[in-house]
Amino acid sequence: MSQKPKSRGRPSSQVEREPGGGGEEAPSTSRGPGGAASQRRAQASPAPGPRSQKQLELKVAELVQFLLIKDQRKIPIRRTDILRHVVGDYKDVLPELLRRAAERLEYVFGYRLVELEPRSNTYILVNTLEPVEEDAEMRGDQGTPTTGLLMIVLGLIFMKGNSIKETEVWDFLRRLGVHPTKKHLIFGDPKKLITEDFVRQRYLDYRRIPHTDPVDYELQWGPRTNLETSKMKVLKFVAKIHHQDPKDWPAQYCEALADEEARARPQPAGPSPATAPAPTLSPVS
Amino acid sequence: MQGNTRRTGVMTDVHRRFLQLLMTHGVLEECDVKRLQKHCYKVHDCNATVEKLEDFINTINSVLESLYIEIKKGVTEDDGRPIYALVNLATTSVSKMASDFAENELDLFRKALELIIDSDTGFASSTNILNLVDQLKGKKMRKKEAEHVLQKFVQNKWLIEKEGEFTLHGRAILEMDQYIRETYPDAVKVCNICRSLLIQGQSCETCGIRMHLPCVAKYFQSSSEPHCPHCNDYWPHEVPEVFDPEKERETGMSRSNKRPSRSRQH
Repeated sequence: MSQKPKSRGRPSSQVEREPGGGGEEAPSTSRGPGGAASQRRAQASPAPGPRSQKQLELKVAELVQFLLIKDQRKIPIRRTDILRHVVGDYKDVLPELLRRAAERLEYVFGYRLVELEPRSNTYILVNTLEPVEEDAEMRGDQGTPTTGLLMIVLGLIFMKGNSIKETEVWDFLRRLGVHPTKKHLIFGDPKKLITEDFVRQRYLDYRRIPHTDPVDYELQWGPRTNLETSKMKVLKFVAKIHHQDPKDWPAQYCEALADEEARARPQPAGPSPATAPAPTLSPVS
Repeated sequence: MQGNTRRTGVMTDVHRRFLQLLMTHGVLEECDVKRLQKHCYKVHDCNATVEKLEDFINTINSVLESLYIEIKKGVTEDDGRPIYALVNLATTSVSKMASDFAENELDLFRKALELIIDSDTGFASSTNILNLVDQLKGKKMRKKEAEHVLQKFVQNKWLIEKEGEFTLHGRAILEMDQYIRETYPDAVKVCNICRSLLIQGQSCETCGIRMHLPCVAKYFQSSSEPHCPHCNDYWPHEVPEVFDPEKERETGMSRSNKRPSRSRQH
């Protein structure tokens, strides 16, 4: 990943320019005086005076709840939406609010607030607790069977040199009884799941390969995947399926090892609450 | 949250995993909460002594306090089974559902809620709810879709369905207590015994006071001739049994069969 050395400023002027859509589905967590009506005041308000600790605490609480609710859908949370739906006229203290919310999320819930990519102004929550197999049982029917399919696709991409043609993915999945155009009992619409849902959640990148006729697309790992899991974890998952050892694929093993080492190195310090996150994408279920 | 200064407990990964998993459910019955607690100890710290559930939850609540979130304990309105829900104290509760539901779906919930609150029995028939789909805000919804949405509310434990009629799930009552009191101050009913919100229960035919079924069960537990606690007139309803977790364990899975029938409630 290309990490630009430039420090992240506060790009407050860019924030409002983001393309519309998505905003209307966000919940309002602001209550208090004004309630929902105060949401849109965020942009134009003049710099207000200092707030009491109590006011800040309430804002942090709202922000934490907003992030928890939004994360349930696994769709990255945009800074614009945070500003519009929660922060309102507390915009000047946004970094402080984010810092305190990140601290609470990690201490109380075990979630790390991470910026998806440097300067992307989108955030996700990464679980610091290792998933265990019995968690799925504890979740009852609320588990996520789609994670298994995602892991298979991630494995496929990694084993094929970090990029794969969509047609190859379907050739492989067809052998497992998953067809792009046929409704699947568990995965519903597999084509939509892989090329839309996982893409929107940023587990996968999906782009058209230029100059192909008929048109073909390629799939790569998205930024969320690198935050929630690692090459080594995915390789181990693949090895387990094949009842083999990760070292049976020397090229991939070396690459995964190098990736582990790079992760272990301390990250360049930045104002973002993102630090080396623990992998959470579970190979189970 | 009641203003008493509680000492802030120390969170460990056991508490965190518990909280994460409770959050995915929204609400759990006590036996499942205990199972969940045991599971979390097993994952993180086999040797630690398992904290008493009450203390364990108090610890979590002490750190949730500053976030205006609380694990609240309640009981199901029909048979008094203890439940725990993660509720939100700072924001309007319908907004919590807003991330899962579209505007017209939320409005359908509000309409159903209104019918339930206004009804005498605490139930609204699906026919009556579905008759209101033409008035919904947002995108137009067909009756077939509305039926599907109602089922989604049931799955997410906001509503309970019995024989084609809907009432509020204990989760919704815990979560929306304040919202309901504020929004429907004239229609809202309160239990004469525990003073908390009442959706379904029994009522005195003379003076009209209402009681939760579990409260009725406890209040009349040892009286052979039940009388209204308010006007002292004869209590004309069947008195249900007090919920007993021990007995529950023996009967095991038969819980769906032993729901009291609604005909004797009022």
